[in-house]
Amino acid sequence: MKSFGTYISKHLASFAVFLLLLVLGNVILFGVTFYHTVSEDYGEASPRAMLKTTSSAADAEGIADDAARKLRRYKIWAMYLSPAGECYWTLDVPEEIPRKYNIQDVALFAKGYLKDYPVFVWNMDEGLLVLGYPKDSYMKLTGNYYSIEAIRKLPFYGAGMLVMDALCLFLAYYVSKRRIIQNTGPLAEAIETLADGKPASLHIDGELAEIADSVNKASLLLGRQNEARANWISGVSHDIRTPLSMIMGYAGRIAADETASETVREQARIVERQGVKIKELVQDLNLVSQLEYEMQPLHREPIRLSRLLRSYAAELLNSGISDAYTIEIDIEPEAENALLDGDARLILRAIGNLVQNSIRHNPQGCSIRLSLKNTGETLILTVADDGAGLTPEKLRGLKEKPHYMESADERLDLRHGLGLLLVRRIAQAHQGTFCIESEPGKGCKSKIIFGKNSSVQE
Amino acid sequence: MDNSFLYSKKILLVDDEPDLLKMAADILKDAGFETVLTAPGAKEAAKTAKQEKPDLIILDVMLPDGDGFSLMKQLCTFTDVPVIFLTAKDEAADKLAGLGLGADDYISKPFMPQELLLRIYAILRRAYKEDSPQVNLDGCTIDFSRAEVRKGGRVIPLTAKEYTLLETLARNEGRIVTVDALCEALWGDNPFGYENSLNAHVRRIREKIEANPSKPVSLITIKGLGYKLRTRK
Repeated sequence: MKSFGTYISKHLASFAVFLLLLVLGNVILFGVTFYHTVSEDYGEASPRAMLKTTSSAADAEGIADDAARKLRRYKIWAMYLSPAGECYWTLDVPEEIPRKYNIQDVALFAKGYLKDYPVFVWNMDEGLLVLGYPKDSYMKLTGNYYSIEAIRKLPFYGAGMLVMDALCLFLAYYVSKRRIIQNTGPLAEAIETLADGKPASLHIDGELAEIADSVNKASLLLGRQNEARANWISGVSHDIRTPLSMIMGYAGRIAADETASETVREQARIVERQGVKIKELVQDLNLVSQLEYEMQPLHREPIRLSRLLRSYAAELLNSGISDAYTIEIDIEPEAENALLDGDARLILRAIGNLVQNSIRHNPQGCSIRLSLKNTGETLILTVADDGAGLTPEKLRGLKEKPHYMESADERLDLRHGLGLLLVRRIAQAHQGTFCIESEPGKGCKSKIIFGKNSSVQE
Repeated sequence: MDNSFLYSKKILLVDDEPDLLKMAADILKDAGFETVLTAPGAKEAAKTAKQEKPDLIILDVMLPDGDGFSLMKQLCTFTDVPVIFLTAKDEAADKLAGLGLGADDYISKPFMPQELLLRIYAILRRAYKEDSPQVNLDGCTIDFSRAEVRKGGRVIPLTAKEYTLLETLARNEGRIVTVDALCEALWGDNPFGYENSLNAHVRRIREKIEANPSKPVSLITIKGLGYKLRTRK
């Protein structure tokens, strides 16, 4: 009901102004429409004016000429009745009009019509002046009496009616607006969802169904394009794998071939290392695109992160990592049994990318520390090294510049790897956040923070 | 642990890419494997598997005449040979499908030759235990067939848990085994809270195998991670 309140406060004033303008408009329209008639009603030809001028120009003997001319000009006939009902004189009285009247006749026509001629009377000293206007020129109200109570109520009724009408109008306006918002709300939401690049689906009946269909169609199209893009990336990365196996395989064989010269073997080792880089890139590209377009459902299960970290570290050490790197592991007792509802493969990948980053950026060797902390609210996984670290500019660039996968801006630096982007995507897929801290000479510290409310259970 | 006894094992490689088949065969032969068979498709693979009875099959998931998963189902009807899937896909669904069928491992292309070999050794060692498994350590010998340690002139028997622990470490000789993996080997699927018991067992084993249990040279602690068994060739 909050929206109701803001709605009222926002629109009540403008609505009141609108109503005032409406009433003013009505009055003006009334004036314009009836100006002519009103001026005529109160002009010289009106019964009141005519009676006045005629009565002053007439007596029992007759009527002045100019008054008679004036009556004729407006096709008005006249007669002057004596108290006994006889005509003293008449002027242009039609044939069908009687020349003698009794008291009942007078009582009847004085209030209304005489043979369908609207007549008006004027009380004079010697008798009654009667003016007859042409048929259908005036309408006379014959039953024009109201109880005084009704007349007294009239202003209240009018005012009450006005207020009621205003309220009804406002209500109608409010309801219709609400209905429009109700119908267009899902549309707006769906379009917003589409703008985020996510699929939207709408079911609306009625006049807006067509627009809803269009939105659904657009969503479908977008979804298909995303799918096609993800499939394309997945296809390319798939097709690269077999030839890359051969390149890495033979490079590895040459590097291990003791009959080959040391130069050749060293060159083979370089080929092998670059092959590993391409392999990582291909894997990351595929994963990022699948996370990006939500093509790959997470295989969520309760994971003991402490165990995952240990098994990753053991695997890394067992794979024969150079002695220049030391791997330390530091798991808080509180974090030992903490469970995370997540996809173990993705989290392993995120840890792997961070550790590989430390190794790649510190070819002279460094100490890498994997730690896990449980604050009660969050689970914090940290990968820290004591290597060269990043300059503030580089760090800012890493944090602020959009990655080329996420932007169409051609001026962007395309030399960033996909590693950190993937880590962030994986953190997001687990409702977590990813941050990175570094200072030159003080190493680099990356944290993935998993929120308790969304994904951690004990 | 010495890998030499593994080299007599027959390995069947199945892949539709002849170059890759040749390369993988070369890698295996270079490493010392005496018999490496190859097959370019599912039909030939099934035929070779029936005739030659290989000890390990390495299968590509995508084959011109059928996929590796159905071939694996077919193979399961007449042999229980260990299978490693080799594939250009790395999607989780494929991984689960492969391991769900009872595949022993799953390697994504591209792979390093060394990685392929290590996985093969591990699978073969798990599937085919050495006939008379003896492990020589610094100053003593563990005889797994009799579950005892021979140190100097003495013979010290191993308890069941100590045996499992040492055997798990010996199978991964020279490699770190995490406390989690050890607890799982000793106490099963849900091995939470057994770390103290594990420490106790390790202490007792050290008393049996080490010259100086407080300065171990064979059963080494890797801080925060687990243990490693160092053998003497």
